[in-house]
Amino acid sequence: MVPSVSNRKALLEWKLYLFIVPSLLVVAVFCYYPAISAIYHSFFRWSGGDTQEFVGLKNFKDALSDGVFWSSFITIGILIVANLFKMIPSIFLAVLIHRLKSDRMQYWYRVILVLPMIVPGLVTLFIWKFFFDPNFGTLNGILQATHLDTLLATLDSYFHWGVFQEGVPTAWLGQPSLIIPSLIIWGFPWIGAVGVLIFLAGLQSIGTEVYEAAELDGVNPLQKFLYIEFPLILTQVRLSLVLLMIGTLQGYGLQFLLLGESGGPGGRGMVPGLWMFNRAFVAGEFGYGCALGMFLFVFVLLLTWINNKFVRISK
Amino acid sequence: MKSGEKNGSARRHKKTEWVKHFFIVAILAVEFLPFYMMIQISLKDNHIFLENTWLPSPPSTWVWQNYADAFRLIIPYVANTVVVAVSSTVLGLALSILAAYFFARYRMPFGGIIWSGFLVLMLLPGVANIVPLFNLLKSLGLLNTLWALIALGIAGSQVFAIFVLRNFIEDIPRDLFEAAEMDGASHLQQLWSVVIPMSAPIIGTLAILKFLGSWNDFLMPLLVLRDPQLFTIGVGLIYLDGEYVKQWGLIMASFFVASLPLIILFLFMMKLFIRGLSNGALKG
Repeated sequence: MVPSVSNRKALLEWKLYLFIVPSLLVVAVFCYYPAISAIYHSFFRWSGGDTQEFVGLKNFKDALSDGVFWSSFITIGILIVANLFKMIPSIFLAVLIHRLKSDRMQYWYRVILVLPMIVPGLVTLFIWKFFFDPNFGTLNGILQATHLDTLLATLDSYFHWGVFQEGVPTAWLGQPSLIIPSLIIWGFPWIGAVGVLIFLAGLQSIGTEVYEAAELDGVNPLQKFLYIEFPLILTQVRLSLVLLMIGTLQGYGLQFLLLGESGGPGGRGMVPGLWMFNRAFVAGEFGYGCALGMFLFVFVLLLTWINNKFVRISK
Repeated sequence: MKSGEKNGSARRHKKTEWVKHFFIVAILAVEFLPFYMMIQISLKDNHIFLENTWLPSPPSTWVWQNYADAFRLIIPYVANTVVVAVSSTVLGLALSILAAYFFARYRMPFGGIIWSGFLVLMLLPGVANIVPLFNLLKSLGLLNTLWALIALGIAGSQVFAIFVLRNFIEDIPRDLFEAAEMDGASHLQQLWSVVIPMSAPIIGTLAILKFLGSWNDFLMPLLVLRDPQLFTIGVGLIYLDGEYVKQWGLIMASFFVASLPLIILFLFMMKLFIRGLSNGALKG
């Protein structure tokens, strides 16, 4: 345990305070000051320059009736729910690797798993943008090669989506109704190497005798997962869930790179963060951007609070 | 009879093992598709690419010119990114280690208050203060400099790193500190001879995570940098991707060159990386 110190000892150890100063200084200037300044400026009409005009709550009222802003929350809601399902492949893969008998193979699969991480995330993003390209893209190529495009076109003529047509390459990022599906498909098969490694670390605490006992009882693989493995990685799953939800709610890099600053055709890929960015740096309404940031902050805080309340994370 | 039974179950085990291997390999194969496409397209010109998108072209037709061009194009960006990523990783972690030592060594007066001040920051969404941050950099005269990115990099994951390191340092046996103190070691000496050797794995993991984050960043560089000479990889690739007539071979070769430093880093640190992520990541 960390020993408490008396005030006299603390006075003697005053040099220790110097250890925290640099960190505190950097954080104060580059984290606290901007945050406070954001709160302050959300009450102003401000285009980034020296002139600013106090407008009271106008920015917040405008934000409340801002249709784009609130529909962007629906979009991000859909993406968050989709992201929850996207965790399943990682869990599946972790359990598969863990169940392998050979320790050596387990190690090597881990190595192979981490390898794609050497491709910078940014590059992966661009490669996926290429995958979505209507004419040369990999996605359309796969659909054609497997004749799934004909199936999609048939389904389309039946359901009248008006999206897929026989013989016409699908513009994944060019059609409003396809943007959200594209954002969901993005990153298939959705393996997060870090996630899998963390799940594997959780699974490691299961001893072989548990498996042997389960096998004697004739437990099938699914039951093994439900009763032995899943409870043990629950902490890790919850933690990933929380980080994932908060990260998705705040994130807009993906949408920005794939669709541009206005959220793609019809603005269907508009997410709250991107709209804030757009208002501030495209429309030049910095004060309004700050106000939107405040709303986003409240939502993140709310999400964090809900998580802390209902999702207990033990150390 | 008995041995026959044993053989049967062993064979059944073998079979289920193969099923597992099959699924793992299948998933990993799809995971590697982007990597594969990048490599094989990087050696084609647009003509070959249009004729044959999928399969690697025969070695005799490989267009090495793509790589020559990509190197010329990307190396300055890589250099800028290395400067930013290395300085913000090293300096950022140095500050975090100092701060974590402060929290973990003794419960100092006001330590609790400072700690909660730090923790609140973990809740603040970075996205909300991007606008004032931009203005702050402007008034500090840091716009269009790499210093801006370094400063943000140092501040960026400070709190997270302190959070993780503090837990780690608290687990170091107290006796070690006391023994060092007996020998007359100052706090800095204790930090150097006890804390850093004992928490090397977690420091390594944090360093890699920080380096990766810095390498992948493109939003702040896009806002901060105007001068093409200062572009980091993030901005550089965005401009490259935005060109009207796309030379896919050149683009993919550039992507590969942009990944090279990470590939080299990975080759050297693979063991540390996997061990750190599997064991240390969740200690906090």
